[in-house]
Amino acid sequence: MTAQAKFTPVRALLIVVALAVVIVLSLALIGTGNDFSTILSIFSTRFLGIFIEAIPFLLLGTVASGLIDNFVSPDDIARWVPRNPVLATLAGTFMGFLFPVCECGVVPVVRRLYTKGLPMSVGVTFLLAAPAINPIVLVSTYVAFGFGTVLIGRFVITAVVAMAVGLVFAFAARPQDVLRPTSLAPVMGGDGFGDEFAEGVIPLYASAPRKPLVIGLRDSIIAAGDEFFEMGRYLILGSLLAAAMQTLISQDVLLALGRGPIISVIVMQLLAFVLSVCSTVDAFLALAFAGTFTTGSILAFLTFGPMVDIKSTLMFLGVFKRRTVLYLILLPLLMTMLIGVWLNLNVAF
Amino acid sequence: MTSIPAHDHEHDHRTETIQLWIKTALLIGLGIYFVYNIASGNLANYINARFAWLSYVAAALFLLIGLFSAIHLLRDHGHDEHDHGHEDHHHEQISWRSLLIIAVPLLLGTLIPSQPLGAQAISGSISTSSVSLSDTQTFNVAPEQRNVLDWVRAFNQNDASSFDGQPADVIGFVYVEPSFGENQFMVARFAISCCVADATAIGVPVMWDQAPALKQGEWLEVKGTFSVAAFQGDQIPVLQATSVEQVEQPEHPYLYP
Repeated sequence: MTAQAKFTPVRALLIVVALAVVIVLSLALIGTGNDFSTILSIFSTRFLGIFIEAIPFLLLGTVASGLIDNFVSPDDIARWVPRNPVLATLAGTFMGFLFPVCECGVVPVVRRLYTKGLPMSVGVTFLLAAPAINPIVLVSTYVAFGFGTVLIGRFVITAVVAMAVGLVFAFAARPQDVLRPTSLAPVMGGDGFGDEFAEGVIPLYASAPRKPLVIGLRDSIIAAGDEFFEMGRYLILGSLLAAAMQTLISQDVLLALGRGPIISVIVMQLLAFVLSVCSTVDAFLALAFAGTFTTGSILAFLTFGPMVDIKSTLMFLGVFKRRTVLYLILLPLLMTMLIGVWLNLNVAF
Repeated sequence: MTSIPAHDHEHDHRTETIQLWIKTALLIGLGIYFVYNIASGNLANYINARFAWLSYVAAALFLLIGLFSAIHLLRDHGHDEHDHGHEDHHHEQISWRSLLIIAVPLLLGTLIPSQPLGAQAISGSISTSSVSLSDTQTFNVAPEQRNVLDWVRAFNQNDASSFDGQPADVIGFVYVEPSFGENQFMVARFAISCCVADATAIGVPVMWDQAPALKQGEWLEVKGTFSVAAFQGDQIPVLQATSVEQVEQPEHPYLYP
């Protein structure tokens, strides 16, 4: 109930989307010859197109998350991780195949892994890589873009950035400088997040004993429903904004913004941060911009967004110290930005 | 003072139960919406038919989750309070705002008649020879069999003059801009790879003496032969129509590259 007065990502997003839609709608009514019902019909088709194509992946993601919640024990995984820091970082990059989680699901898993003794840098790499490098995102990106530059680029850039940031942490920081005390000390079953968390954020999984199969499946499906309402909001608000831009802003304006090799990257990164759309479905939003924006900026959207956005930043604050969160935002931001701009300037797509 | 919190708690509980039922109804409603889209063929207005199976997955998962949610509610929330102990997972607080946001697609999908993108959605950017849609397979298709997409691809790969005299028979909707020459229009389609988010408008220029009588957006079958002519200031293949017939909107309004 205290949430009424608090800043929440959904509230901020609601305001941004509502303002954008209103401004753009009034501009469009003045600017084009189409009447309101035609515009509404086109807008609705564009919005539902993104929604219908994306929603199966969001649902699969929430079911996977529910199953992990109930059946997979992070304890075992923490023990398999290699001791060598470089190898361990490599393992962290591909752990998303064991935990197909999006950027909101990954934070509780990482925190849990830390309490099980996962090396701090491996957790950082996993945190940044898993939301993009996992089977569900692989398929959704393939469906949206086919096999090509965007699909390959997304996975290579994510792996490079996640490993680089992980190695920075491995060699340049001590765990006690990075993690909050609650994450450092193993707290079994406790919910150390407490009031630091904004409304509606998923709490740490309780360290419950393994459940019987039927009960576990039931609980997974119920949890999937809860998470659908959590994640679905971001998808719907993001899709509304994307559809509004496609329908209402003239192609010339979008091209002016989207063809600049540097400005396009910054715009798409800002959009990724603000929209906070789940990584399982962000490829479909990116698709709405692919016609007008540079490939480098689309890749920046698809690599930076899964690592950092408004809602994941709020969750980071529950696990890491403030200064660390700043690094966790700035390092991926600058690296994906540089890579995106470099690609725009040097590679002809 | 002591009675107020108790009353509030009861009230909160009732609100929560109502919200959980609305949540369940939304899940089942979305499932039914997907089933309806598949059954009515409206799905083709939104996504590439190649990915229709994804909507089957969505329909099944929505109905499954909705069903479990309903059973869960019937069993645990009808006679609760005392048996909280056996629940080892707790529901998240669902707000009216969340419910409203999730209801948006359902409202748009049911209240606004489902329509594919048409002539009004083009707004000036239509391609007669799209580079991004290039594909060499076009050459295997006989000229009379080619659709708008095949022609647009072919134009991109060959000299304009090489199409002189080739016969064509294409289906598309009418697209006219004020800047088009007299008796000119385009028979247009949208090409989509994934869903309408990546829709690209493409079209074949047509010359027909009765073009001014055509309505923007109506579906036609146009037959004729190509010859190079001036269109929008370029010398490109223009279909000289010999027959133009009104047709029903095709089952798949979009073309799939």
